Amino acid sequence: MTATEIAGTPITTYPRQLSVMQRFKKTLQANLMWYLFVAPAVILILVFMVVPIFEALSLAMYRWNGVRPREFVGFENFIDLFDDRFFMGALQHTVLFSITATLGTVGLGLLLAVAISRNVPGAALYRILFYLPVMVPITVVGALWVRILEPNFGLLNTFLRGVGLDGLARAWLGDISIALIVLMAVTIWQYSGFPMIVLLAAIENISEEIHDAASLDGVSEWQRLAYITLPLIRPVLISISVLQIIFSLKVFDLVWVMTRGGPGQSTDVLGTFLFDEAFFKRQYGYASAVAVAMFIIIFTITYIYQRVVRVENAKL
Amino acid sequence: MNLVRKYPTGTLLKFVVVVLLVMWSVIELYPILFMFNTSLKLDPDILNHPFSIAFPPSFESYARVWEGDQTGQPFILYFLNSSVILVGTIVMLLVTSTLAGYALARGRFPGSPLVQQGFLLSLAVPAHALLIPLYFFLGNLGLRNNPIGMMLVYTTLGLPLSIVLSRAYFLSFPVELEEQALIDGCSRFGAFWRIVVPMSKSILATIAILNVTWVWSELFFAQAFLSDTDSQTLPIAVASYRPAQMQASAAISQHFAIMALTTLPLVIFYFVFQKNIRKGIAAGALR
Repeated sequence: MTATEIAGTPITTYPRQLSVMQRFKKTLQANLMWYLFVAPAVILILVFMVVPIFEALSLAMYRWNGVRPREFVGFENFIDLFDDRFFMGALQHTVLFSITATLGTVGLGLLLAVAISRNVPGAALYRILFYLPVMVPITVVGALWVRILEPNFGLLNTFLRGVGLDGLARAWLGDISIALIVLMAVTIWQYSGFPMIVLLAAIENISEEIHDAASLDGVSEWQRLAYITLPLIRPVLISISVLQIIFSLKVFDLVWVMTRGGPGQSTDVLGTFLFDEAFFKRQYGYASAVAVAMFIIIFTITYIYQRVVRVENAKL
Repeated sequence: MNLVRKYPTGTLLKFVVVVLLVMWSVIELYPILFMFNTSLKLDPDILNHPFSIAFPPSFESYARVWEGDQTGQPFILYFLNSSVILVGTIVMLLVTSTLAGYALARGRFPGSPLVQQGFLLSLAVPAHALLIPLYFFLGNLGLRNNPIGMMLVYTTLGLPLSIVLSRAYFLSFPVELEEQALIDGCSRFGAFWRIVVPMSKSILATIAILNVTWVWSELFFAQAFLSDTDSQTLPIAVASYRPAQMQASAAISQHFAIMALTTLPLVIFYFVFQKNIRKGIAAGALR
């Protein structure tokens, strides 16, 4: 294999006396079509993603309200973040929300997938219906649950009072101690169908012979689950869990529509905190520091995940 | 023989599973049915009889949002804004991601490993980090409050996953067909456009399906970049009704009508393409 072949240019050998520039031109000409193919995507990613990331990094070093000249403050914004109990609160809520939402959606999704995969009556219907809430826009889900949870006339409290459980009726979104839990519950309600579909596909990939062999050996349903299904879908289970964590760390819409971080910042998450700092307090430098912190957290998790998944896939 | 896939019939386990699944169906579906049902009722009825079935249905709330919601914007304006942004984004996304995915699957050109690595890394970038710089950047370009600005941002956000998927697809696409076309004197682009694209409807559908839902529902960037009411999208309209106390506002039924109208296109889309959607999600999720 010649050097030019490795570099990927078509297999043509150049006379040695060609200058660097001429060779460059030849390579460009030979591959011009490919460069034109990738150009639109590369330009979009560069202009609307790469450049903004570096701008966010630089903005985070300034104090700036968007109008007056920027004031360079170095890493002060980042140091301030650690002293800001509202930021630390938002970080804590985001992590709690992500862990609970992930355990809830993946746990429920797994149960549903296992149940449906065993050809229970109506399986085809459940598979369609349980994914439906995922299709509903998050803003609608949020607004709808605000209406359902409304303290005086809302569906839930009306129901609870109707069946004599008045003691349970409460201001679901107005109570500092439960508002975040309610948000978690709504997310689990909406998204459990997503891991279900992915896990169901993984379960259905398990070959028929393995199941047949197991049936001949007379295993129980529980043994089948513990020794066949779960071990074989483990990689998918891990992937979908990491994906759900990453997805939930970015939560914004639901909190924005349902509580705007309230009551008393008790449901503030990184997304809403960032939005507030930027567009209501006009602290663009400080908000950029929040954005950079989020970037570091989410990028690191995703990057590690990609490495692990690719290594695992290579093994398969 | 497919008997082994089934539960041993008549067992207690099967009974419990069936009961739990039915209960969960009610929990998952009732709120959605409640939304559509309530949108067909009038405010006093909504407050006093939240569980009642909308019969006979009243379309008054729909008529009102058609003329204008609480901010005076007619529904059709939000709907058009959302639709223009959705269609523009999906078209741009399909063109750019298949071209790039195809080039990365077929071409070994100097720089291609770098480009491939770059796209993989871009998958890990959270959109939040881009909010503030893009806000000022679009402002400078005069693309704030402009559907083209939203299309460019959304296309960029959708690109990483779409490229990864289309590259994987084209890697498994038989080379022989294109080679024949190239020998017959077709250009690379001609081979791509006339031979590959017509045979690749499944990947085009997967990319469209994976992006339609989030683009239609997107609020984070829309809320920040679309402050003029006549450029706003449906999710902003849904989020703008924020009376926490039901009795405080007389626009409850209108809010439900807006919610129902925002959801309806996606629900129809889902029921028409539900098999492809679930397949696409299962395939696309783990990339």
